[in-house]
Amino acid sequence: MAAGVAAWLPFARAAAIGWMPVASAPMPAPPRDKRRTQDGLIILNVSGTKFQTWRNTLERYPDTLLGSTERDFFFNEETNEYFFDRDPDIFRHILNFYRTGKLHYPRHECISAYDEELSFFGIIPEIIGDCCYEEYKDRRRENAERLQDDADTENNNDGVLPDMTLRQTMWRAFENPHTSTLALVFYYVTGFFIAVSVIANVVETVPCGTSPGRVKDLPCGERYALAFFCLDTACVMIFTIEYLLRLIAAPSRYKFVRSVMSIIDVVAIMPYYIGLVMTDNEDVSGAFVTLRVFRVFRIFKFSRHSQGLRILGYTLKSCASELGFLLFSLTMAIIIFATVMFYAEKGSTASKFTSIPAAFWYTIVTMTTLGYGDMVPKTIAGKIFGSICSLSGVLVIALPVPVIVSNFSRIYHQNQRADKRKAQKKARLARIRVAKSGSANAYIQSKRNGLLSDSLEQASKEAGQALVSKTSSSFERQHHHLLHCLEKTTNHEFVDEQTYEMSCMEVSTVNQSGSRSSSISSQHGLTATCCSRRNKKTFRLPNSNMSGSRPGSVQELSTIQIRERPPLSNSRSSLNAKIEDTAQLNCDQPYVTAAIISIPTPPVTTPEEDTSQSPDYSQSNIVKVSAL
Amino acid sequence: MGIVMGTFSMQPKQGGFRKDKAEDELEMTVVCHRPEGLEQLEAQTKFTKRELQILYRGFKNECPSGLVNEDTFKQIYAQFFPHGDASTYAHYLFNAFDSGQNGSVKFEDFVMALSILLRGSIREKLRWTFNLYDLNKDGYINKEEMTDIVRAIYDMMGKYTYPVLRDEAPRQHVDAFFQKMDKNKDGVVTLDEFIASCQEDDNIMQSLQLFENVI
Repeated sequence: MAAGVAAWLPFARAAAIGWMPVASAPMPAPPRDKRRTQDGLIILNVSGTKFQTWRNTLERYPDTLLGSTERDFFFNEETNEYFFDRDPDIFRHILNFYRTGKLHYPRHECISAYDEELSFFGIIPEIIGDCCYEEYKDRRRENAERLQDDADTENNNDGVLPDMTLRQTMWRAFENPHTSTLALVFYYVTGFFIAVSVIANVVETVPCGTSPGRVKDLPCGERYALAFFCLDTACVMIFTIEYLLRLIAAPSRYKFVRSVMSIIDVVAIMPYYIGLVMTDNEDVSGAFVTLRVFRVFRIFKFSRHSQGLRILGYTLKSCASELGFLLFSLTMAIIIFATVMFYAEKGSTASKFTSIPAAFWYTIVTMTTLGYGDMVPKTIAGKIFGSICSLSGVLVIALPVPVIVSNFSRIYHQNQRADKRKAQKKARLARIRVAKSGSANAYIQSKRNGLLSDSLEQASKEAGQALVSKTSSSFERQHHHLLHCLEKTTNHEFVDEQTYEMSCMEVSTVNQSGSRSSSISSQHGLTATCCSRRNKKTFRLPNSNMSGSRPGSVQELSTIQIRERPPLSNSRSSLNAKIEDTAQLNCDQPYVTAAIISIPTPPVTTPEEDTSQSPDYSQSNIVKVSAL
Repeated sequence: MGIVMGTFSMQPKQGGFRKDKAEDELEMTVVCHRPEGLEQLEAQTKFTKRELQILYRGFKNECPSGLVNEDTFKQIYAQFFPHGDASTYAHYLFNAFDSGQNGSVKFEDFVMALSILLRGSIREKLRWTFNLYDLNKDGYINKEEMTDIVRAIYDMMGKYTYPVLRDEAPRQHVDAFFQKMDKNKDGVVTLDEFIASCQEDDNIMQSLQLFENVI
């Protein structure tokens, strides 16, 4: 029942009194309306825009957010209103739905934004009124197609799956030639041979000059028969090989055999084989000549190479109904006019209009405004009807053409849009990658800076001065704390790519010159690190007892920092001094040197670690860091 | 050829058609009714100002022009009885509400009828019901009228009932009704007979009080 008429329920109940005298049995007791809430105004604050409505209006639709108790979650007690952090422009329409019972779709709104708002407020889009429903459905379908296109192209361009069989690789190479060099070469070679074959077919028929002993010109095909035959053979060989390869590589052979392109391929190479088989039989030579015509279908093989050709073919296919209508109306007009012209010209002497079918030719030539002039009406009536015929011809043909053109334009633009989207997507992905790595780097960076600020904090606490530290937002701080907890949980740390790569390289060199490292445990740690190259974050740690104190990790990071850039703070001077000494050493082994340095000098680290709980911890941490 | 015929035939008809539609549109928007003032209605009915406000808001929401015509009335009433066909009974109701018999129900009619039904005395309610049953408003209810009413009520039930609705059910119902109501057995029920018989029946008395607190 449409809740909009809920306001009339009292009337319906009152009208029920009309049944009472007719009824013979007692009536049931009426429901006791316990909740006699007074109808009050509700204030809905949507991003600052205040809407007000009666409570009853909202409660007409109790299965939506505003009509149910779900809205209590958004109640702001201080201002005594319901606050929604959503788009006020779209909310207007949603509120109108409650008021009028009809949901409208504004044309200027983005369809996905609108859908989101609807789903937030718990309104199903099917309620959209008839006035706006078509527009809504159209936009939605467009959007879905766009998303589907996106997904499709993504699937197609989805890089190399690690375990692709040879067959799958081949198929991918055939479908997307730009994926590998070999595929590209193959693509161009076949294209070249198609062109050669078509040109050969054409040149075959050109008169080539006389050969000695002959009077008239021979076409080139007969003069250089052997050469053309060899060329033809070569082309057909290439085409056959290509067809067989595609057949082998196709994921669904049955579907491949039925597809248009494969039929074109078959039709292109069949005449040659049939010709090979039937060379001696004179009776069917006529048919054989006809078969040679089919060789021209090789030109359609170009549609694999040209997108525009494919679009044209697709357009014609999608405009099949318009083309059919054109054909039908043309046929009707031709028959009518041919009949009229025949009877009009019947009287004139030596008329070319010998029969109605003969008049067909005249009608077609006239309606398409060709006007060859081989058949011309001579009587006055014939001329009148002839002129009417040509006028109507122009119109009949002009009618379906705009439809076809607009279809073509739409499909063409869709294709262009697909290409544009691909390019945009690449740029977008690059941006996303930068942002992601930025945020990852931000954490690592903040760990280093945290060292700085923490030690500053300590220093300033001791000195009793106000703290001046680099401000990061509280969101960032909490996020970093979260990542830190994860590190502690897994006993591993986040590092950036270069560090990881370097560490793996280092580990291999360390393994070779194992004498350097004094601690077996550290060596084990080092060897174990590079076992999993893929996963940057999992390192096996020997003897790590992570009692998670921030300064500890700060200590770890200092060694990374040492490797990457000059030290920041004076408070780490002792350690840094040591590192600087060793910085002159061979650049490929800074980690190892760091390890060496750190291990014998744990006392050095402690001055910074006034609050550090376990020097062992920092030591093992240092070891771990160098392992990174 | 086709064009020639088309050009000749198109001109006169179109103009006339367009003019008719425009006039229609104009007519519909001009008719709009506003009720009398709130105080007057409060004096005439037994509703408070607040109740009148609520009633009017619901009324105006459904009928922005201020008038309910029979189709809208039937539509609204049909929404409450989706199982069967409420149009006949709605038709009779409409006639009962439309005191001026001019084919549309104004807010005043609506509210006054509701006032009687919900806040009126027993006698007033019974008189209103008698008026509803008396289809031709001649002061008597005869068997045909009653049969029509009862059949209309049964129509609202729809097809799927338990036990299955038989054709004789309305007639039997009417016979029982007349047995009870028609005191002097003259085949018609007058207002006094009606009121008297209803006051004797406890069930009816009780059920008339049923909808007092609807608003």
